[in-house]
Amino acid sequence: MSEENNIFTEFLDDYFAECEEHLTNVQKQLLSLENYINQPEIDETIVNQLFRSFHTIKGLSGMVGFKEVENLSHQMESYLKLLRDEPVILSPFGFDILLESTKILEQLIITQQNKTDSPSITNIVDQLTTLIEEISPEKRTQSSVTPQQLKLTDQQTENLKTLSKNYNYTWHFSFTPNSQLAEKGINVNVIRSRLEALGKLVHNAPRMTETHDIAFDFIVVTNTSETTFASWLEDGLVWNPYQEILPDSQESETESETVSLIFNSIENSESSEISILEQSKGSEITVKNEDEPSPESLLKIKPSTSSDLLPQVPTLTSQNPNVVRVELSKLDHLMRILGDLVISRAKLDENLKQVQSSLSAPQRRSLQEINLTLERQMRDIREGFMRVRLVPIGEIFSRMQFVVRDLVRSSKKHLNLEISGQNTEIDKLVVERMLDPMLHLVRNAVGHGIESPEERFEAHKPANAKVSLRAKTAGEMVIIEIEDDGKGIDQEKVLLKAKEKGLLTEFDQENIDHFTILELLCHPGFSTQEKADLVSGRGVGMTVVKNTVTELGGIVELTTQKGKGTCFRIQLPLTLAIADALIIVVKNQRFAIPQASIREIILISETEIIPLENNEIMTYRNQVLPIKRLAKVFNLESPLNPRENNLNIPVLSKDNYFQIVVIGTQTNAIGLVIDQIIGMREIVVRPLIDPLIKVMGIAGATELGDGRVVLILDASALIQNSKSKIPNSQLLIQRTKDKEQRTKDKEQRTNDK
Amino acid sequence: MINPNDSTNAFIVFELAKTIYGIHSQFVQQMEMIEQITPVPNAPLFVEGVVFSRGQVIPAINLRVRFGFEKIPYDLRTRLIVIQCQNRTIGLIVDTAREFLRIPDNLIQVPPEEMAGMSGKYLSGIATLNDRIILILNVEELMISENSPVGVK
Repeated sequence: MSEENNIFTEFLDDYFAECEEHLTNVQKQLLSLENYINQPEIDETIVNQLFRSFHTIKGLSGMVGFKEVENLSHQMESYLKLLRDEPVILSPFGFDILLESTKILEQLIITQQNKTDSPSITNIVDQLTTLIEEISPEKRTQSSVTPQQLKLTDQQTENLKTLSKNYNYTWHFSFTPNSQLAEKGINVNVIRSRLEALGKLVHNAPRMTETHDIAFDFIVVTNTSETTFASWLEDGLVWNPYQEILPDSQESETESETVSLIFNSIENSESSEISILEQSKGSEITVKNEDEPSPESLLKIKPSTSSDLLPQVPTLTSQNPNVVRVELSKLDHLMRILGDLVISRAKLDENLKQVQSSLSAPQRRSLQEINLTLERQMRDIREGFMRVRLVPIGEIFSRMQFVVRDLVRSSKKHLNLEISGQNTEIDKLVVERMLDPMLHLVRNAVGHGIESPEERFEAHKPANAKVSLRAKTAGEMVIIEIEDDGKGIDQEKVLLKAKEKGLLTEFDQENIDHFTILELLCHPGFSTQEKADLVSGRGVGMTVVKNTVTELGGIVELTTQKGKGTCFRIQLPLTLAIADALIIVVKNQRFAIPQASIREIILISETEIIPLENNEIMTYRNQVLPIKRLAKVFNLESPLNPRENNLNIPVLSKDNYFQIVVIGTQTNAIGLVIDQIIGMREIVVRPLIDPLIKVMGIAGATELGDGRVVLILDASALIQNSKSKIPNSQLLIQRTKDKEQRTKDKEQRTNDK
Repeated sequence: MINPNDSTNAFIVFELAKTIYGIHSQFVQQMEMIEQITPVPNAPLFVEGVVFSRGQVIPAINLRVRFGFEKIPYDLRTRLIVIQCQNRTIGLIVDTAREFLRIPDNLIQVPPEEMAGMSGKYLSGIATLNDRIILILNVEELMISENSPVGVK
């Protein structure tokens, strides 16, 4: 019984994984599909891919018994089938429905996974069914039918050109006769004479439909508007504004279109048929546009590096058959084995040293050579493993594109999303963990950062706001930046709020730095209770952002300028598995400090350290630097185990001089007092999993080839720890500046308690 | 914990402060000589530190400290028994361990209520085998109550 359950659970895991993959693909494809709104022809490969994805989701969901998912994906599948098989134009409305259903589908699957309440699908399914009914071949309305493309003769084209100057409209009518119509006395001749009465008949030809019926195409130039012949719909006549198709313009047009897309919102979908005309190049056709230049959302997707994210590139969207999907845990397992191998080799090395005196020189040399080769080869394997875990960050970026598009539609804001560096590679685990934080930051940028068009106009800013997503590799770090050119964070408001909440006892506004602002924003509960002031108080979910980045061993930085914009800069280690680290010694125990968190190593004298209550500080680059003695933080005063005293590393004792490793960021650093520096090493990071050994200030462990565990310091935890003991760094600055101020602050602090 | 379908169970037998203990072999992953243990700052006192075991960093618990005995320096007989239970891997430092015994079920009795000593609550049974008394360790209990302040001053 339980075994059966297990199999089912395992299958479910597969199901979720597969659905997720398909949904990612769907989102990608939908972005590409967007280029074909109101276009006479849709790239069939895109529709096919979408169709296939929904079909698979439907099938899988049926197997696991998720009826709602099955139902919804079935409806979407039907709609896509129509898009593919019928001469149907994808209307903006239809596209919106597709987007909306995808979103709901994703939610449905997520709720199944989390076993929470699922959203209702009745509404969306109804919308889909209506849509399908509208465009299904039996009952086509004028707005969604595209007549077959017509090949006009050169002479006809000439004719049309001259004629259209004198008339307001050019219509393409299509008539499919059938027996019922014939009974009513309507045949092709009746239609033709009706049309001739409207204006000039430019083209008139029969053709074969897909269902092997005969249909007739007419092109008419006229001054009569649509209302005159609206009732002819019942007579089997459908029409569309005629769109001229230039022989070779089609491809080039779609390409240029993708650079700048115009999304029409749902409200304007009735008038959407008109926009076809706007896009045709030979603009001899007069455009009737009932609308004001759109109040609706406008979004341009403009990747700044040439091609890769452009949605229409089929090579990107088609799945690579040479890819193997591997569970991360399997890679972790291999990595562990490799770690053991490294230790074994270190032992071999050790033994080799012991016996080498008894060997002849040639024997010794050849053995050493083998040993060195082994070492090199093992480093290569290690490197290879690390590469396997890396994936391009574009995976999240394209998700963001989707989100921004959605936000823009609902917020009536105009903005360009700029993306660069989507090929930057980063550890798979990091990518997965960063998805939520990135979502928060992008949502904040669009929702709170970017002003409304009116506000932007008043501020003399370009109407189209800009949100940039950038990624790049810098050494062993990956830097992700999310920047907007919106109104910036209102620091005064943040500070006021902080004061209200008692997070800040005293502040000097000139001295408040971005770090303090960020700390305040990331303070749990700081923003959530700010609903009334949500627009200025950026920071929903900022705690999540901060925590995730910190857990991943990264750093968040903030720069913001009122009226100019905000930029979040996130630094993350390229991989969690391998890093460069400085090996140091404190009280005979070695520790590794990740290079990414090291700012500088300085030598200072005892006299430079200023004791302050229970803390020690020093001035460093005109700022206050809290000093932490690692030996004290880790209670290493007396070695925990006397047997560990065999490292035989001389302790640096140049009178009263200390070596200090400055860790953290420019605005947020502490100095660690250490005894000795051994040097830089490439380390394989092992997590400390067991709760017994999870302690503050230790991020993981590594070995340096001798089989001994070396603990890795957790820089951000150490900084956090020192910060929490000093509530406000601003206070500190003031205290050192002014000693008299000190007592006053002390009073203030005790009062606050 | 003890498979009822198997009348004889295999145990790893070890010595701690002159007392003989047994751990059911299903929990034991391997046994090692003590090599290098790296102390972990601010960890519970009975956690001697961390060691590598099959590429994983695991805590090494000094069972003497854990059970309230006097700590003795390691020697050549000292062993690290790596046990695996409830998805955790932990090393136990014991005075010595070199025996592998099969103990029939009927020789194992429930420990008396008044069982004295720190190890009392971690026992699942007492076996009498050829005049030898072997205390059977309840590994699951040891795992669960690990975070309790036993042994921490």
